[in-house]
Amino acid sequence: MKPSIFIIIMSTVISGTMIVMTTSHWLMVWIGFEMNLLAIIPILMKKYNPRAMEAATKYFLTQATASMILMMGIIINLLYSGQWTVSKDLNPMASTMMTIALAMKLGLAPFHFWVPEVTQGISMSSGLILLTWQKIAPLSILYQISPTINPNLLLTMSIMSVMIGGWGGLNQTQLRKIMAYSSIAHMGWMTAIMMYSPTMMILNLAIYIIMTLTTFMLFMYNSTTTTSSLSQTWNKTPLITSLILVLMMSLGGLPPLSGFIPKWMIIQELTKNEMIMMPTLLAMTALLNLYFYMRLTYTTALTMFPSNNSMKMKWRFECTKKMTFLPTLIVMSTMMLPLTPMLSILD
Amino acid sequence: MLKIIIPTAMLMPMTWLSKPNMIWINSTTYSLLISLISLSYLNQLGDNSLNFSLLFFSDSLSAPLLVLTTWLLPLMLMASQSHLSKENLTRKKLYITMLILLQLLLIMTFTATELIMFYILFEATLIPTLIIITRWGNQTERLNAGLYFLFYTLVGSLPLLVALLYIQNTMGTLNFLIIQYWAKPISTTWSNIFLWLACMMAFMVKMPLYGLHLWLPKAHVEAPIAGSMVLAAVLLKLGGYGMMRITVLLNPATNQMAYPFMMLSLWGMVMTSSICLRQTDLKSLIAYSSVSHMALVIVAVLIQTPWSYMGATALMIAHGLTSSMLFCLANSNYERVHSRTMILARGLQTILPLMAAWWLLASLANLALPPTINLIGELFVVMASFSWSNMTIILMGTNIIITALYSLYMLITTQRGKYTHHIKNINPSFTRENALMTLHMLPLLLLSLNPKIVLG
Repeated sequence: MKPSIFIIIMSTVISGTMIVMTTSHWLMVWIGFEMNLLAIIPILMKKYNPRAMEAATKYFLTQATASMILMMGIIINLLYSGQWTVSKDLNPMASTMMTIALAMKLGLAPFHFWVPEVTQGISMSSGLILLTWQKIAPLSILYQISPTINPNLLLTMSIMSVMIGGWGGLNQTQLRKIMAYSSIAHMGWMTAIMMYSPTMMILNLAIYIIMTLTTFMLFMYNSTTTTSSLSQTWNKTPLITSLILVLMMSLGGLPPLSGFIPKWMIIQELTKNEMIMMPTLLAMTALLNLYFYMRLTYTTALTMFPSNNSMKMKWRFECTKKMTFLPTLIVMSTMMLPLTPMLSILD
Repeated sequence: MLKIIIPTAMLMPMTWLSKPNMIWINSTTYSLLISLISLSYLNQLGDNSLNFSLLFFSDSLSAPLLVLTTWLLPLMLMASQSHLSKENLTRKKLYITMLILLQLLLIMTFTATELIMFYILFEATLIPTLIIITRWGNQTERLNAGLYFLFYTLVGSLPLLVALLYIQNTMGTLNFLIIQYWAKPISTTWSNIFLWLACMMAFMVKMPLYGLHLWLPKAHVEAPIAGSMVLAAVLLKLGGYGMMRITVLLNPATNQMAYPFMMLSLWGMVMTSSICLRQTDLKSLIAYSSVSHMALVIVAVLIQTPWSYMGATALMIAHGLTSSMLFCLANSNYERVHSRTMILARGLQTILPLMAAWWLLASLANLALPPTINLIGELFVVMASFSWSNMTIILMGTNIIITALYSLYMLITTQRGKYTHHIKNINPSFTRENALMTLHMLPLLLLSLNPKIVLG
């Protein structure tokens, strides 16, 4: 689309999220979500084929329903507390409705069904925005109401999300669907810690956004959307194969890469609060995620031909896409583990 | 400790910046120099450990393992030269970098004070090993082998992370120097049983214990020679070392909890030794013999007497050198015949007599011939387990006999008898291979003169 229109639409998306994050009036929260939703629909439909239209429609329907349930929660809060200020003491019923609405927006189980299909139908760069930027607004509202969330509801949803994110991604070969299930699982981890230490959720979100940004950028660099086309990377840009290897291990949460930091910190916070079986369960089901990441690395990096690239199978063009900050992001997504003591700045 | 860590880390840029015909020479020489530095740590004080900093220390348990690790890197590099000769330069440098990275992580693991750092580095050693096995192994089964290796270890070690964080919350610190004085006795309530299991299962999988050993034959067989060497010699000992460190915290629940694992180890010893008698694949035989020797170490660690700990440490060092040497010998066979089947390369004594001498020495060390430290280790463990319970002597004795049987079986099948016709035109032994065997055997023989340094 034309750059001027793109700038206007993107700034609407960004300002929608900003409004949600910074406002203290519940109605503005709803307005921010709606602005965000309406502005992102054209971005989702950048490629204008029926698949993208179907994905954009599904996204619109689920998010609009979630916004309405959020509005219902806001009105119930207005009924019981008499004012519109975004604060921590909410009525339990309002809090439950808002949690369910925000879970629908995030793609937590059991409201996760739209995530793979929408992510698959849109282009890589739109999927990038969908899976990273769109998570910030709902999580910021969850952060603000976190003291009053019903723990049973949230923990059930998070455990189910991690499990479904793990098992759902096992049978996928399309990279966007794999990233969608990865997003579901990571959202599960983030909401698991919400009640005990919302700061850790922000840490997990930050590291997840960095890693997902890097992954999408590497996929866009190769113009690959399926696992089998990813296996040609050794031919086009051999350096990227080792980067994808390290990045997938970081996404899976293997030490000593920075993907391990959120898992470690979350398990630490949970065990400090006397929950032992749950972090064990979460960690075990995260291994399922690791399995399909490792499968990606197997086709990409670890099973290369023994010869040099003497047979040119694909044209090696210069990459023409904008890869902003890619080296920085790669370093940040893999090597930040020794900086973990710096986390105290988050408090 | 930094005087070992920083040079090892610097070996990596040195590999990448060397001239193409100097990469092997440079890396082997400098890693030998680093191993000489680490020998100075063997000079331990009698009553306490050498404490270098808040993060790193070395005591009489970790010092021999540290020396073993640093000693193995030049040996691994020498062993890998021939099968990498046809790769292009970048891949050779990548392989050497993986080995150096693994060495670095292992050095830091063996000298870590804080248990969480130990855990992070313990898991971190999986990554270079996985890359070495899956990328440079030889058969298609290596993919499966890598996955088994990774996931068996991870499933065992994630509960360890939860358990370590729980212990940190209840005890205030996880620094090893402190918790050995502050450890409270834990009883056998259900939650303590799960805590014990969570702490120990990671190391049981790594050792491996008999019921969880499925990854080991796959990984050893599919790995290239350096991968097999480092797996057998050092990575298994990580499990033993970890168990010895963590049992400090777990008394006296270990008295009851150890029973199932003792039974599995004792029975597994005999089972895996017996399976060795029926193997056709040479590397698989050596892999199962590793399981059998490590089961002895598990028995020793679970008994928790001073003699058994001394036996376990000696056995770990001895098995490290012996097993690595056997893998090098098997690899020299593989490079000539390109098959691991034992009966395809028979009667090698008539064709390669010097190599036959190494085979003889390695097999004799494997079956714990006096006065090698293999015998000292096994003897201490057998005596300690006999004092723990008289009945174990039956299984231990059976194991010693069957170990002797399969070691001699391996020796006789490959070396004696009439040679097969198709191996008449194999290459004679390279000086590199003879040097490799000497460097394996010499420490083993010299340690029999002064075993005190490896008896923790």
